Amino acid sequence: MFRAVVTAILALLLLAPAGAVAEPVRTPHVEAELVSARSAIVPGQPLTVALRLVMQRGWHTYWRNPGDSGLPTTIEWRLPAGLAAGPIQWPLPRALPVGPLLNYGYEGEVLLPVEIKVPSAFATGASATLSARADWLVCKEICIPEGADLALTLPVATHAESDAKWAVPIAAALAAVPQPLAGWRVESTAAGESVRLTLTAEGSRADPGTLYFFPFAEGSIEPAGRQLVAHDGATTTLTLPAAKQRTGTFTRLAGVLTASDGFGTQRAATIDVPVSGSLAPASARSASAQPLPESSTNGEAPLSLSLALLFAFVGGVLLNLMPCVFPVLSLKVLGFATHGESRAAVRRHGLAFAAGVIVSFWVLAAALFAFRGAGAQLGWGFQLQSPAVIATLAVLFFVLALNLSGVFEIRQVVPSAVAGWNARNAYINDALSGLLAVIIASPCSAPFMGAAVGYALSASATATWATFTALGLGMALPYVLLAMFPEWRTRLPKPGVWMVRLRQLLAFPLYASVIWLAWVLGAQLDNNAVARLGALLLLIAIALWAWQLRGRLVRVWRAGALVALVGAVLVGVPIFSPPANAESASARASADSGPWQRFSADRISQLAASGRPVFVDFTAAWCVTCQVNKQLVLNTDAVRAAFTLSGVTLVRADWTRRDPEIGSALAALGRSGVPVYVLYRPGKAPLLLPEVLQQRMILDALATL
Amino acid sequence: MNCRSVFSIVALSVASSFAYAAGAGQAAPDFTVSDSADNPVHLSDYRGKFVVLEWTNPECPFVQKHYNSANMQTLQKEWGARDVVWLTVNSTNKSSSEYKTGAQMNAWMRAQGAAQKAVLIDGDSATGMKYAAKTTPHMFVVDPKGEIVYAGAIDDKRSTRLEDAKTANNYVRVALNEAMAGKPVTTPNTTPYGCSVKY
Repeated sequence: MFRAVVTAILALLLLAPAGAVAEPVRTPHVEAELVSARSAIVPGQPLTVALRLVMQRGWHTYWRNPGDSGLPTTIEWRLPAGLAAGPIQWPLPRALPVGPLLNYGYEGEVLLPVEIKVPSAFATGASATLSARADWLVCKEICIPEGADLALTLPVATHAESDAKWAVPIAAALAAVPQPLAGWRVESTAAGESVRLTLTAEGSRADPGTLYFFPFAEGSIEPAGRQLVAHDGATTTLTLPAAKQRTGTFTRLAGVLTASDGFGTQRAATIDVPVSGSLAPASARSASAQPLPESSTNGEAPLSLSLALLFAFVGGVLLNLMPCVFPVLSLKVLGFATHGESRAAVRRHGLAFAAGVIVSFWVLAAALFAFRGAGAQLGWGFQLQSPAVIATLAVLFFVLALNLSGVFEIRQVVPSAVAGWNARNAYINDALSGLLAVIIASPCSAPFMGAAVGYALSASATATWATFTALGLGMALPYVLLAMFPEWRTRLPKPGVWMVRLRQLLAFPLYASVIWLAWVLGAQLDNNAVARLGALLLLIAIALWAWQLRGRLVRVWRAGALVALVGAVLVGVPIFSPPANAESASARASADSGPWQRFSADRISQLAASGRPVFVDFTAAWCVTCQVNKQLVLNTDAVRAAFTLSGVTLVRADWTRRDPEIGSALAALGRSGVPVYVLYRPGKAPLLLPEVLQQRMILDALATL
Repeated sequence: MNCRSVFSIVALSVASSFAYAAGAGQAAPDFTVSDSADNPVHLSDYRGKFVVLEWTNPECPFVQKHYNSANMQTLQKEWGARDVVWLTVNSTNKSSSEYKTGAQMNAWMRAQGAAQKAVLIDGDSATGMKYAAKTTPHMFVVDPKGEIVYAGAIDDKRSTRLEDAKTANNYVRVALNEAMAGKPVTTPNTTPYGCSVKY
């Protein structure tokens, strides 16, 4: 009797529903089980369960779109009557590269939540078993299809508590499932070989940073292709490469969009938008009609690091001969030539100057990194695309030229304390001169620099720093050499009137540079801006001249100088804050002028797809080399005739103002500054021409068509 | 560099895309590859005939599905009898652990009773890259003029189950039937399925 009672009690204890019952199933590479967020099924309340997959280290399973290869995980439910299972709610996947291919999936442990609908009429007082057959493909290098028959038994009750173990992880998995994007207007257009996604913030929103898109549909977007981000004020554009082997037509774009800085409270969000426009049809595409594919330079091998460093060094040396830099540097050279200091001191001056130059280039490189890290499509010369920078440089050059012309002396304008500080810390003075030299050199770009900087900005971070250091070394070299071997000082005539005359003479190249900067400003904005700049410079000249006058009326002169300065500020403010999205005047002009069409990536791919050769001139008003090439080569009769005869379509990409599309196009060509000249040839790889053009190069290039 | 720039650099450079790719409607890129007996094979040799290119990898469960179910061998015999040149390409890179030499591929194909014209050993993966072959299997049908008329999956049941090979709609058979009858292929491009090619 006693034994029977004990057996009965033990049987009751063993058979009593003790909450969820499920055993994990172990396959060779994955442990799988079904887990529940609540301890019981409550009629009328939905229940969230999840498929838990724990993958062996290094192995992965796939997302709903597996990417270039693989299969998504599937669950086939066998549920008691009345219960219905929803679809898998996929948490945010990871991009898993496999050589040149890309998959979307999960590594480590993943919970795939599923909502089970429970009708209110579900029988209570018993337990229910949820069965499922889960199949997945798990891959490391090899792929193994695996599956498991899983079951989860839960009591059915009127009240359920959160499962102590799994409620929180399932809630976290649900939180990781991307929800529709809120707070942004999304549009999508397709053209050529890419699909563009444009996000415009509704209201004021923080910049989302770098975007990445996971498409829901296979065969739409090329998984391993580059996705290029561009920011322009409140609008962010993501350019997606269409799948090269496309299936079906592209009418909607749906998928998950992630942002490095998040969309407000969301880190990732889903989008589902119609796509306007259409991609190039399959039969029109040929292997070489991909927009901006790999190109071959004119007989040159792609730059290696050592070659890029050499180019940067030579470019730096040549910078010293540019008209912006030459006057200031030659005066510095004369300056220390007549100081009469010891050789050792002169050497130290030279090294301090070189240090200033190199550090300034590092600062420029850091600024470029910071901007590009923020997603901006910037390249070398980026500082010149802003009218504010151009105007500042013009003012700087003008003030320096006035000083050289003798309109004012630094000591008379700057308080004596500062002037004295200047003289005491002579080495800081040299370093600051180096900084000034780099600032002055920024509008000028020497031959060789473009290719070197372009290589550096597309290569690793260390390559970029090394190239900019080489640039600085090259630029500082002549000065350092002159400082190291000061014997030439003895050959100079004694200080005299000739020095004053030389100083005044060297003001004129600086005035010429001011005229050129005014012209660039006019190309960026309009004629009115040039007039404003002229007025600004005139008022500054008056202010500087008036300030240093002495005599009984010194207060009157000083007051007049201040009035002139205030007037200068008022006149100049509109130049420094022009409308942000203004198109440059030069781009507008070139679009209407003659045979050159305006650049757009879609136009290039359409023209290439139609089998016509295209010559693209990437230029900017502030790029001296570009203007020289235009005058001496591109606009000559011989070259114009050659273009007409060969039936080449001419396209001009004007980068005078910031343009993300042109920036992306340059990046895709492996360059980050202008000028760049490309000839797209149907059936062949595109041809990149050197920066400094000659007529012969164009004619040879056209002959290869 | 801060996280943002690292993220952006990673995002902007996630794998490089194929410079060229081949899809239906385009010219089939010519290639020269050694077959499993070390003889060079040129695609241009077969201009004037239909050619089927089958990307394979014996280690892949999807390839095993089509061979263990005798589906692939049946296709090879069926179309070889109608003068179609069936070339099986293995673009597994020499550096991969799944690389198979010509002798190994011959042995495996013999054991399977395969009937292709040649097995091409694309050890440097160059041909795979030309066609942007992504999966094993990945099928291309080339017409006598050298144009690709079908590119994509072998059939429409994306699984590793042997029984699916019998019941699926075989895109290659349909494409060859239509192209040989002079009609345009109704489904010229599909998304291929399988394991990734081991570049």
